[in-house]
Amino acid sequence: MAVTGGARGAVYDRGYRPYDGPRGGRAAATLALYKASVRRAVGLRRSWRQKFLPLALLGVVSIPAAVNVGIGYATRNSPLEGFSFFTYREYVGVSSALLLFVAVCAPDVVCPERRQRVLPVIFARPLTGVDYVVAKLGAIFSIVFAFAVLPQILLFVGQTLVSKDGSLRYVTDHADVLWKVPLAVAALAAYYAALSLAVSSLTARRIVAGASIFGITIISSVVAGILDNAGALGGRGRLVNVLALPLVVRDLIFEGHIHESSPVAGVPGAAALGLAAYFVVLGLSVGVLLWRYRWAER
Amino acid sequence: MSPAPAAPLFRTAGLTKRYGGVTALDGLTVDVPRGLVGLVGANGAGKTTLFRLLLGLARPTEGDIEVVGRPVASDPVGTRARLGYMPEHDCLPLDQSAADVVSTLGELSGLPARAARQRASEVLDLVGLDEARFRPVGGFSTGMRQRVKLAQALVADPELALLDEPTAGLDPTGREEMLALVSRLSSFGISVLLATHLLDDVARVCDHVVMLDAGRLVVAGPTETLLHQTGKLTVEVNAGIGRLARALRERGLTVVTDALFEADGEAGAVDVVVGADAGPVLDTIRDVLADLGLPLQRLSSRAASLDEAFVAAERGAGTWP
Repeated sequence: MAVTGGARGAVYDRGYRPYDGPRGGRAAATLALYKASVRRAVGLRRSWRQKFLPLALLGVVSIPAAVNVGIGYATRNSPLEGFSFFTYREYVGVSSALLLFVAVCAPDVVCPERRQRVLPVIFARPLTGVDYVVAKLGAIFSIVFAFAVLPQILLFVGQTLVSKDGSLRYVTDHADVLWKVPLAVAALAAYYAALSLAVSSLTARRIVAGASIFGITIISSVVAGILDNAGALGGRGRLVNVLALPLVVRDLIFEGHIHESSPVAGVPGAAALGLAAYFVVLGLSVGVLLWRYRWAER
Repeated sequence: MSPAPAAPLFRTAGLTKRYGGVTALDGLTVDVPRGLVGLVGANGAGKTTLFRLLLGLARPTEGDIEVVGRPVASDPVGTRARLGYMPEHDCLPLDQSAADVVSTLGELSGLPARAARQRASEVLDLVGLDEARFRPVGGFSTGMRQRVKLAQALVADPELALLDEPTAGLDPTGREEMLALVSRLSSFGISVLLATHLLDDVARVCDHVVMLDAGRLVVAGPTETLLHQTGKLTVEVNAGIGRLARALRERGLTVVTDALFEADGEAGAVDVVVGADAGPVLDTIRDVLADLGLPLQRLSSRAASLDEAFVAAERGAGTWP
């Protein structure tokens, strides 16, 4: 080690150098926490075991796009030309499979910090509870968004390249998906991130959090089914299913109304009610997070 | 480098913190200079509450608090940027390497990523974890974890490091090493507030002491003065301790002894209370020793332990400002 000596020079100075470089404030700290959380969730700087799940899921949700493009290519000169297994709108629904991903990685980015009591040393740094929530929400949102939008890009680019009418024609014909897909995927990602993190923030154990995330979705869909079978609420009971809400928002973004294939299609007021319920769940989740990380307020 | 080197380490005025009906800190008013400062008190004395208030993680019920020249109430985030905190309990992510933990926490303190990595490796080196730093913290011994905890508190080169019981759970060697590390920090320009219930640690390392009991200030001042305000001399002889004590009393001196010494032939020590002028007392002791022909082992001014200072101050017998 270099011996610095100098003004602070002391017998014991074994190369300690005071830091006089730049120091960021809350924004820098929040960004650092965001980056650390993203790294953790996708398994960077971790063992292969930790990397497996995110990569496998990204692969799984991309398979339909690859298959669709492959069929498009194989049938480009046949009467089936123009055939598509599914639309971009439907493909957003495929991303619901990312629930599996958030049920694993959202608990992983918040529960160990509570269980291993890392929160006190995090909050002893220049950031606040709000910054913590922003960083964690941002991290899960970004990953879900990326994992949901990458297969869509694969689908779009693939379809463009195999399109018989020419790529330019395909792009101009489908220009609307260039904003609809990111918006619908963002609505899904924000919802999943907030809900899964809010549930995870309530416990220090990853396994409990993961099971609770699944539990909430299963219970809500069962309740929705019971209400529906009982004929209660004129079919609106299906909106109790928390997984249905982001898909209502997706339909509104793509179609401006609820799609015929939706379980709440034709139910009066379902669009407004679904949209409202979506924002209530989102708001409640963020509220729970802010409450659970209100460190500086006590 | 410090914005206001002249500013005291921290200063509180009438600082009170109540949680419901419980008063954790009661009207604390101190002005503590920079350097190595011991914060002493039993469990529940208010040490952790004071730490939380210094970090701006709790709001005072009453009173003001200023740390390294910054008002905590109006700028808690800016204050925290200049502090390092080592909690008493475990606080490390166990599945990450020490290098990752410390550099990530360095970034959270506002350092750019590259600087944080650099500082993490320097600081881990400093605490003596050069080779182990790429292994997961989960496999570390208590001593190694304490070092990582200290490293994360130092990574952003704080003006003040708040260390909560840094020697807790360490074996004697580990404790020595930790105290040696802590005592070096002031030479790096880092002030330390060392919270402990071990007065010994404070006597060894700290220049200043703040003593709390049940949320109240007992005493605050330089360690030196605390240790030397006993007003007693210790006289130690190799034999005849009982005769010595009796003879000193016969000459009108106030002699303080342990009850055990009175057997005549024994070796031992007595404390003699010295008034304002030590000269005549020293002369008397010399004469008595010469008359009795006792072998003098030691004659020294009695250094109090901090425990005694603590007890004295609590009784209100101390002459402390």
